[in-house]
Amino acid sequence: MKKTVRIKINGKTYEAEEGESILSVCNRENIDIPNLCFNEALAPYGACRLCMVEVVNGPGKKGMTTSCTLKAVEGLEIVTDTEQIVKYRNILFELYLAQAPNSEEIKEMAAKYGVTKTRFAKKAKPLDPLGNKCVLCGQCVRVCDEIMGTAAINYIGRGFYTKINTPYLEKNDACMGCGACAEVCPTGAIQMEDIYDKRIMKSWSGTEVKLKKCKSCGRYFAPEPIAEFAYAKLDPEIKEELKDLCPDCRRKLLSRKEILISQGEVSKNED
Amino acid sequence: MKIKTLQDLENVRKAGIKKLFPDKPRIAVGLATCGIAAGGQDVYEALETALKKKGVNAFLTKTGCFGICNEEPLVNIAMPGKPLVILHKVQKEDAESIAERVAKGKLPEEKALCKIEEWDHITSEKPFFYGKGYENIPLWNEIPYFKPQKKVVLRDAGIINPEDIEEYIAVGGYSAVYKALTKMTPDEVVEEVKKSGLRGRGGAGFPTGLKWEFTKKEKSDVKYVICNADEGDPGAYMNRNEMESDPHMVIEGMIIGAYAIGASEGFIYVRAEYPLAIERLKLAIKQAKEYGLLGEHIFGTEFSFDIRIATGAGAFVCGEETALIASIEGKPGRPRPRPPFPAQKGLWEKPTNINNVETWCNIAPIIKKGGEWFSRIGIERNTGTKVFSLVGKVNKVGLVEVPLGTTINEIVCHIGGCGIKSKEIKAVQTGGPSGGCIPRNLFDTPIDYDHLKEVGSIMGSGGLVVMDEDTCMVDTAKYFLSFTVDESCGKCVPCREGLKRMYDILEKITDGRGTEEDLGILDELAHTIKATSLCGLGQTAPNPVITTIKYFKDEYMEHIKNKVCPARVCRALIDYFIVPDKCKGCTICAKNCPVGAIDGGPGLIHIIDQSKCIACGTCMDVCPFDAVVKLSGEKIDTPDKPIPVKKGR
Repeated sequence: MKKTVRIKINGKTYEAEEGESILSVCNRENIDIPNLCFNEALAPYGACRLCMVEVVNGPGKKGMTTSCTLKAVEGLEIVTDTEQIVKYRNILFELYLAQAPNSEEIKEMAAKYGVTKTRFAKKAKPLDPLGNKCVLCGQCVRVCDEIMGTAAINYIGRGFYTKINTPYLEKNDACMGCGACAEVCPTGAIQMEDIYDKRIMKSWSGTEVKLKKCKSCGRYFAPEPIAEFAYAKLDPEIKEELKDLCPDCRRKLLSRKEILISQGEVSKNED
Repeated sequence: MKIKTLQDLENVRKAGIKKLFPDKPRIAVGLATCGIAAGGQDVYEALETALKKKGVNAFLTKTGCFGICNEEPLVNIAMPGKPLVILHKVQKEDAESIAERVAKGKLPEEKALCKIEEWDHITSEKPFFYGKGYENIPLWNEIPYFKPQKKVVLRDAGIINPEDIEEYIAVGGYSAVYKALTKMTPDEVVEEVKKSGLRGRGGAGFPTGLKWEFTKKEKSDVKYVICNADEGDPGAYMNRNEMESDPHMVIEGMIIGAYAIGASEGFIYVRAEYPLAIERLKLAIKQAKEYGLLGEHIFGTEFSFDIRIATGAGAFVCGEETALIASIEGKPGRPRPRPPFPAQKGLWEKPTNINNVETWCNIAPIIKKGGEWFSRIGIERNTGTKVFSLVGKVNKVGLVEVPLGTTINEIVCHIGGCGIKSKEIKAVQTGGPSGGCIPRNLFDTPIDYDHLKEVGSIMGSGGLVVMDEDTCMVDTAKYFLSFTVDESCGKCVPCREGLKRMYDILEKITDGRGTEEDLGILDELAHTIKATSLCGLGQTAPNPVITTIKYFKDEYMEHIKNKVCPARVCRALIDYFIVPDKCKGCTICAKNCPVGAIDGGPGLIHIIDQSKCIACGTCMDVCPFDAVVKLSGEKIDTPDKPIPVKKGR
């Protein structure tokens, strides 16, 4: 059991687990802090710089810092909306609006904080595989590496010209087509599409992943590598008859079995 | 042989002394990268041939850099019992005459820059005495360039052979390791470093002893020490020279540091652009292992330590400690937020102590002579010396080592000898792309961590770039921004997006399209980037812009309001003209103009077509009569078409 500590946010006292990210605490307590690169499932990254708060009291350093990387300790006291934070954050929003001009999510988020236009030239790249929506928060890169253990995509180049894609912008066999990247993307920049027996990761250099065919209905239902990845993780192993069935057929099979059992036509142990 | 005891060390020391003071003339050619670039390698080979040809019995060897770049290639000669004489601007053609005279026990005195009668290697028991003589040659510390200097870090540079461990041991090398390992506890070592007041020489100036203590306190089976040799500031080459001229002092410092904090492995992270430094470090590590100074049971104690070299792939941001660690681990060099600090979770999540090359170089003298001795050099809270690379528009360039607290004026004007061709010096830029530009009227500012911060700059690793009246401060700010834009890793938004936007605005201003509103945006961006960036790169990158706006706002305003570049640097704002009274109609400018913008002919006054001119300056460079002028916001009267040059001029 982790120790519970008491922290002060905007003058009000809250309880938190020791070491917990302050941004998590704020999310839980409905204290509004904008953020783009934070995800509970991933290690704090501190890249989007939107979740800045000011530490006014506590054992560590005082001053502005990112709340995602700030850990809860007894006696910590922060404020979330100082004049300074708002001023800097607004400029960051302007930078984001120029960086990802096609992202409705960014426009919405910025507008919520009163920023509706940017003074900077919009960075619209023709044929951008991420539709000029990517803000380089790195959630896709990190989920692929940290959670899936695949690292099929990464940053390419550096600085202002950084982009995210597969190595050498080639189709990548390592991709399992799980779509976690698209799932976590805060701006909906990542495109993928299932066409017949393939999943096409359109944003990732057209990487193709074969889909598994349901042995009962014949429908393509999940990327093959993901099915194998999941089967390998199950303990006890999946029953042979359930393997390679789409979720619908699997449900049907199990339901029919239950019915037969309830009607006494098969015994429970008869598999 | 393996050195296990003090007696073993003493035996090697004696062997080394015989090399430093042979019973025949010793000739050493300065062969750090700078010396080689100036032609030192050719001089070395020519001397080798000449000595052999003439059958001269002399000991020819190589040495590091003595720090005075203008005078390269440098060769030092020591006749037995006579002062060590440093010859300057030696060419390979001089080799024969040098060999001839050495054969007769003489010196080419006309080539002598200075002489050394006595030299303090700091780590040796007492200073080395070479001898007296050569009345006409000045003592090294009598010449203005060296007079204010104090060589602690550069104690052996340009004197000993960096590729020979025996010479390093001869000047007291590795005796500090012996002292630390056999006579001091790790706590005492940390205490001594704390007492010295040494602050990190990488630029941030964190107290070294304190940093060691943090890592020491962490409980872990494995700990690491790292030497940060990813020197990347434009114009800075202190660390390169320290490693090339005296690699063992880095290793010795690291052994002592590792012992103090309880690390068993060390890494030297060197940029791949320093091949000679890497080569000499590798050789030094190999020699140290052969002599048992690295490896198992050093000096027969329980302490074991080894060093490996990791080469960087050229990213500036890898000088930032968390990015550096990521790079050694084989990951992309991107910083991560601190805490946790490397002292808690560093390389492979283990407690790690990272220090800059020059910090490590100071350790052996501190242990040998005591923290108290070190703390007497420099000024309060800023103890010891610092090596600076003095470059730019200044008469004498080179590596300068002075006690901290020495004023900018002392370094730029007394050591550097002021501006080239008596031009007015305008500013000095310290701390590389993270630093700021300090104007002339603040040249009495002492150079140390605290005073530089007060005037808006930073110490940084030690680059000092001098700027004169021909330097445009807006252009300078733009140059440093272009560097940081290129080198930003791209992880956090203010640094990645913001710096580029700042650069775009500066480009607009230097192109003559800037507005006063731009200046306001520049200021807003600069402060946002400083306050919100993830690592030190972004937090300091706006400094050149902030300080130039602060101290040279009039130059910005000239660019914006009058479309004039007062220093006549920004191409879009300057025009070249041919002065009709000076033109002799020689046609050289017209022939060399890359865009055919010059009209004229033999005997005719030439005219530049301003609509075609790209302001490259070629005409000005090639004109033998200084007839081409560069103006900004001004014009001179020129004929409409080429007319004959007046006779009788």
